[in-house]
Amino acid sequence: MTAENETPLDTMSTDDLKGLIEIANLVGAARDAMSDEIVTRMSGVMSEGLHLLDRLTRNEGLMQLLQVLDRPDSQNLLIALSEAIHVSSQEIAAAPPAKGGITCLLRVARDPGTLEGIRFLASLGQHMSHSLREQHRHGCEPAYK
Amino acid sequence: MRILIVGGGTGGTILANNLARRLSAEIRNHKVRITMLSASDKHMYQPGLLYVAFGQMTPDQLYRDQRSLLESSIDFHVDPVKEFHLDENNVVTASGKKHEYDIIVIATGSRIAPEQIPGMAEGAETFYTEESAVKLFKRLREIEEGTVAVVVGVPHKCPIAPVELVFSLHDYFKARGIRDKIKIKYHYPIGRIHTIKNVATWAKPEFDRMGIEYETLFNVKEVDAENQVVRSEEDTETPYDLLIAIPPHTGMDVIQENNLGVGGWIPTDRFKLTMKDHDNVYVLGDTTNLPVSKTGSAAHFEAEVVAENIASIIKIGTPVRDYDGKVYCFIETGHDSATYAMFDYQNPPDLKPSSKPMHWFKMSYNQMYWTSVRGLL
Repeated sequence: MTAENETPLDTMSTDDLKGLIEIANLVGAARDAMSDEIVTRMSGVMSEGLHLLDRLTRNEGLMQLLQVLDRPDSQNLLIALSEAIHVSSQEIAAAPPAKGGITCLLRVARDPGTLEGIRFLASLGQHMSHSLREQHRHGCEPAYK
Repeated sequence: MRILIVGGGTGGTILANNLARRLSAEIRNHKVRITMLSASDKHMYQPGLLYVAFGQMTPDQLYRDQRSLLESSIDFHVDPVKEFHLDENNVVTASGKKHEYDIIVIATGSRIAPEQIPGMAEGAETFYTEESAVKLFKRLREIEEGTVAVVVGVPHKCPIAPVELVFSLHDYFKARGIRDKIKIKYHYPIGRIHTIKNVATWAKPEFDRMGIEYETLFNVKEVDAENQVVRSEEDTETPYDLLIAIPPHTGMDVIQENNLGVGGWIPTDRFKLTMKDHDNVYVLGDTTNLPVSKTGSAAHFEAEVVAENIASIIKIGTPVRDYDGKVYCFIETGHDSATYAMFDYQNPPDLKPSSKPMHWFKMSYNQMYWTSVRGLL
């Protein structure tokens, strides 16, 4: 037989053919195991998953948030926040119910931790207001033609 | 730039989402506004109706809220258009509101018109609406023996539907073990069993193999529901126990009432997809009078061209693409096999042998459709 007349099968070894048969058996087994219902469910999940992924990746706010959260200082903040949530939930569960009233409020206000927390929230609010004003200013540029 | 899309079907929805993605920066900067006016707050996956008729899907699986399918930047109203004033660039809706535009896209679709054939509405079953598909399913469950006749009106949506119906009937009765007691007789209005020559050539031996009887040159003249006989313009007749019709279709009444096109089909440039003599009026899907199939896939490919052209007009002042007439149709050849036909203005379809993986591809597409109308696929 000349090289011109050779088919791909002629050049294959027995091991190659065995490998192909194994793959064919695998594909056949997968095909037999599938059903319309499985295909429908998988496609439904894939369809909704793609939609969700698309929405998330095109959400500028979320992408910006992810970038900010990726910074080392934000990581520290996240760790602190998660620890604070954990400790606070334990403290609140163990503490007796608040009695209320001005005296109680003053006692909480005198606490250095509370003051630190208020300072953090004030700073957050200040920067958020500034950013919102900037976005609003840029967003109000040219109207419809 | 104000873009107005009239119609929330496959074409209108894909177009709106595609435009909203391409023009997101312009929309954010208030340079572009996209408005959609639709007759319904629901979106139906119409190809699923054939599956409902055979108990493979339930009607609730065919619907999504239209709002949930649209980009949030699209201004959506359930308020169908009643008057088109194309020379003044505005439309008036059912609520009386006037919408002005710079570019309008008309994608109002088509509807079945069984009333065009005497007796068809009373005597024939169909599957082009939710109610009729459920009713057909119940009739198919009841029948035990006799003649099931299939007749085809023209023009009609989805050219493949008649042969898909016949293949599904064959498999359905076979699965029930009564195929030998049921005679399936197919009637087609022209001199072969399908309008697309290659589909006819491919389907004929399949019909022979399945024992399907067929009569060509059978243009339905009337349905005599009382005597259960369907008659043709060619003076032949077929007695039946169950008659299933692909009814003739017509464009929407609002198109005819506004004199935009005879029969509700708008004269459309086959490449630019603009309405004749109106450069700022685009037409999509079933609403065109183009010599292409009235299918979701045609509307899909047309919508992509129109979206790209409108976006490029806004960005560089000129359209960039022509529609090549591309259509892609799945063909279910039974309950567990399928093939497909792809064609355009230049190339006829070249049908491949049917297979189970193609059937699963179709089953997948039934779900992926929602990704498709959102403009992702």
